[in-house]
Amino acid sequence: MKNRLSRLAVPYVIWMALFVVAPIVMIVVYAFTSAEGGFTLANFSRMGLYGVVFFRSFKLALIATAICLVIGYPVSYMMSKEGPKFQRVAMVLIMLPMWINFLLRTYSWMSILENNGLLNQFFQKIGLIGLCNALFGTNLDYFPMMNTQGAVVLGMVYNYLPFMILPIYSVIVKLDGSLIEAARDLGANGLSVFRRVILPLSLPGVLSGITMVFVPSVSTFAISKMLGGGTELLLGDLIEQQFLGGAYNPQLGAAISLVMMVIVVVCMVVMNRFGEGEEQAVML
Amino acid sequence: MRGNTKPRGRALSRFFTALVFLFLYAPILLLIIFSFNKGNSNTVWTGFSLDWYKSLFQNRLIMRSVYTTLLVSLLATAIATFAGTFAAIGFYSLRRRSRTVLNTVNSIPMMNADIVTGVAMCLFFVAFFTFWSDFAVWFNGVQHLVTLPPRLTLGFGTLLIAHVTFNIPYVILSVGPKLRQMDKNLVDAAQDLGCTWMQAFWKVILPEIKPGIASGALTAFTMSVDDFIISYFTAGSSSSTLAMTIYGMTKKRVTPEINAISTLLFVTVLVLLVIVNLREARLEQTGRQERRPRSQRLTRFLDSPRGKVFRRGTAGVLAAAFLVVVVLLTSATNAQPTVNVCSWGEYIDEELITQFEEETGILVNYQTAESNEALYSLLKSGAGDYDVIVPSDYMISQLIEENMLAELDYSMIPNYTLISDRFKGLTYDPQERYTVPYAWGTVGIIYNTAMVEEPVTSWSVLFDDDYAGNVLMFRNSRDALATALSYLGYSLNTTDEAELREAFQLLKDAKGRGVYQSFVMDEIFQKLEGGNAAVGVYYAGDYLTMLENNEDLAFVVPEEGSNWFMDAMCVLKDAPHYEEAMAWINFIASTEANLANMDYIWYASPNQEALEQYPAYYEKLYEEPLDPEIYEIMAAPQEVLDRCEAYLVLPAHIRALYNDLWTELGI
Repeated sequence: MKNRLSRLAVPYVIWMALFVVAPIVMIVVYAFTSAEGGFTLANFSRMGLYGVVFFRSFKLALIATAICLVIGYPVSYMMSKEGPKFQRVAMVLIMLPMWINFLLRTYSWMSILENNGLLNQFFQKIGLIGLCNALFGTNLDYFPMMNTQGAVVLGMVYNYLPFMILPIYSVIVKLDGSLIEAARDLGANGLSVFRRVILPLSLPGVLSGITMVFVPSVSTFAISKMLGGGTELLLGDLIEQQFLGGAYNPQLGAAISLVMMVIVVVCMVVMNRFGEGEEQAVML
Repeated sequence: MRGNTKPRGRALSRFFTALVFLFLYAPILLLIIFSFNKGNSNTVWTGFSLDWYKSLFQNRLIMRSVYTTLLVSLLATAIATFAGTFAAIGFYSLRRRSRTVLNTVNSIPMMNADIVTGVAMCLFFVAFFTFWSDFAVWFNGVQHLVTLPPRLTLGFGTLLIAHVTFNIPYVILSVGPKLRQMDKNLVDAAQDLGCTWMQAFWKVILPEIKPGIASGALTAFTMSVDDFIISYFTAGSSSSTLAMTIYGMTKKRVTPEINAISTLLFVTVLVLLVIVNLREARLEQTGRQERRPRSQRLTRFLDSPRGKVFRRGTAGVLAAAFLVVVVLLTSATNAQPTVNVCSWGEYIDEELITQFEEETGILVNYQTAESNEALYSLLKSGAGDYDVIVPSDYMISQLIEENMLAELDYSMIPNYTLISDRFKGLTYDPQERYTVPYAWGTVGIIYNTAMVEEPVTSWSVLFDDDYAGNVLMFRNSRDALATALSYLGYSLNTTDEAELREAFQLLKDAKGRGVYQSFVMDEIFQKLEGGNAAVGVYYAGDYLTMLENNEDLAFVVPEEGSNWFMDAMCVLKDAPHYEEAMAWINFIASTEANLANMDYIWYASPNQEALEQYPAYYEKLYEEPLDPEIYEIMAAPQEVLDRCEAYLVLPAHIRALYNDLWTELGI
């Protein structure tokens, strides 16, 4: 019986071999190929040059992930404590923004953050900019918010926050209430219940959330292009540039992708060691 | 645990949650509000109107991409849900070790960065197509019963495969846990009691995992609709999703029509979700008793002999429907003659496309690339599969050099004779074999007179600290380095490495000192028009478009000289729609089309008649004479052109140097 059912996996295994594994093999092959077609390591020898970009991308993605965690965890926790009706509405509200394309939402942030944008117009109106000039002796017409690393991080947090909230929430909401009661009966106070029961049990959700925020953040190119102004490249920009952008060099692009992939995988493996044996949490 | 929270803590936590939701929804609210704006700005409110909703339904580009998006998402979700559910059951029944391995592979598309997945698939497809074309040629030679199409391209098929591939893991991930929660003995018991495994699946497994399937399908669909990056690399030139259309627009100006379509989609989903949730809530209130019998009735029915027929019938109908859809899709795209055109942003009067389609019945797939270099990458990587392209002079030389262009059949382009003699046989195509000129112009500095006091005359404004943080620089290597070369007094076509490095250093230093607010291409429109930057460098025609929206802007071709360029229509080698391409080129080369284009894009036409007639045309259309100054910016007079230099194709090692310098500048 078991073995008959296991045959159901065969078509998908073939599919994965074709469309998941083979393309990644292509990346590896390209990374070790020179423009003329021979084997080479030259694509990697230039990697040091891009160290800055690697560092910047990982830094910004880490900050964004940390902020998402700091906002997302409490929200998930609080949501799980509300009534079922509230929870349902909240879930819908968190999923819903994904139905407006993320490029458009990011574009909307552009019109908010621009030097002449809505936020600066608002600050101007309430006199905040004047006040700031008077207080600090600066000579500002606006607060420069666009084209900064802060704007890029904001874009990441904004776009990927639901990916943090959903898995954490889905784990917390399924926690066995009797465990908490037991902890209380055994004399734990609120804080230690949280620290010793809820937090460890919600770890799979947290790990899954961190992955789902960190990976797209570290490799984004649209957000950095739109909110970062292209003055400070991220890894995604660098890769896109080599494939479809202004500096065609697919071999180099594949090499950068490969290095990024390896670093991310190593990070994930190390991180998942913390939650050893735990199943990854699901989004819904 | 609910009783334990203190009221004050509760209020505080609700306040916090409300703040987070405000953060999530503020930009969306803004989008919705400005879809009702009268003007086309996203920041200035000029009055309520529903015009954008009206014009939305006439915008073919948007409607077509909405259609593609919904179609690909629905199909991909259906396939992924079906395949993913069975795959999950298969995985579940495997031995532990092989399951772990497969689960790891399964999570690759989710754990991997989208861009790597997209790039990898693009490389894979292109490699497969090369292999396929060799195979098809061989196969067609060996036998004559079946003719295989020798040429495959990226398109809807590859887009669908990519979406299915990244959707299945989400389905498996949400079905898997439900399977594990299920009592393993149930299936065995069912079989002991005489169920076939098919019956066991329908009666035991399916009811248990249904919630998992539903949430998996919902996640998959949401991911499909929201995806941009993977589609961007796998959709090719003939199909584009809404996300890709939006990405093309975010570079110049997002028309509020996009706000309108997004609002419509948003409201639809909101209503759907509200209905579903209300129903669920009601079901929960009336208790579960009602649901059980129904599902039992269904399984009982499905097990009856009639049910068996029904089951097979539905499976058959579903499979047939799927096939029909696929066949219709492929035939719909093949039946109508089409031509794939790739041009630049804001570079055609879109009325012309409609007019051409009506006159000839040929469907135009109109796409835009960001720059010559980006176009080249698109062509080389195989992601761009066009018939007609409109590259600039130096890129044409390069494409000819690399044997990528097809010779034109000028007997099919009678309007070629209308092209002014001074624009025929230019250095990039001396024998007039490959090109029909499209438009020409100059590069210059655009500045906002409200923010810059003295008139600008020199390139120095792009490298000095006077307007630090307020300068917009080109985001393509050739144009950006040209500004620096010109400032330093070197030729724009220099092959001297030292001169190039000096120019690069100038840019790099300026960037290091924070002179540049950002590196832009068509984003420059909204940045300069909105007064978000003081100085920029761009093309003359686009300056005139900006001037329509912001009268404070001024344009100058710097005294050191600049670049003048010619963009010309070319056809790619082995273009699948050669004759349609000729018809398109001939149509665009006509005097009427050139006049309409000139009026819309403000670039000078190479058509002698159009060039001469334009001032009169303008006066008739707007009932006021054309400002001669504007005409001179559009069609630069000879003394300005004398100061300017056209780009020539550079030798390969210098091009490689450009790429390296460019990547280095970005760091």
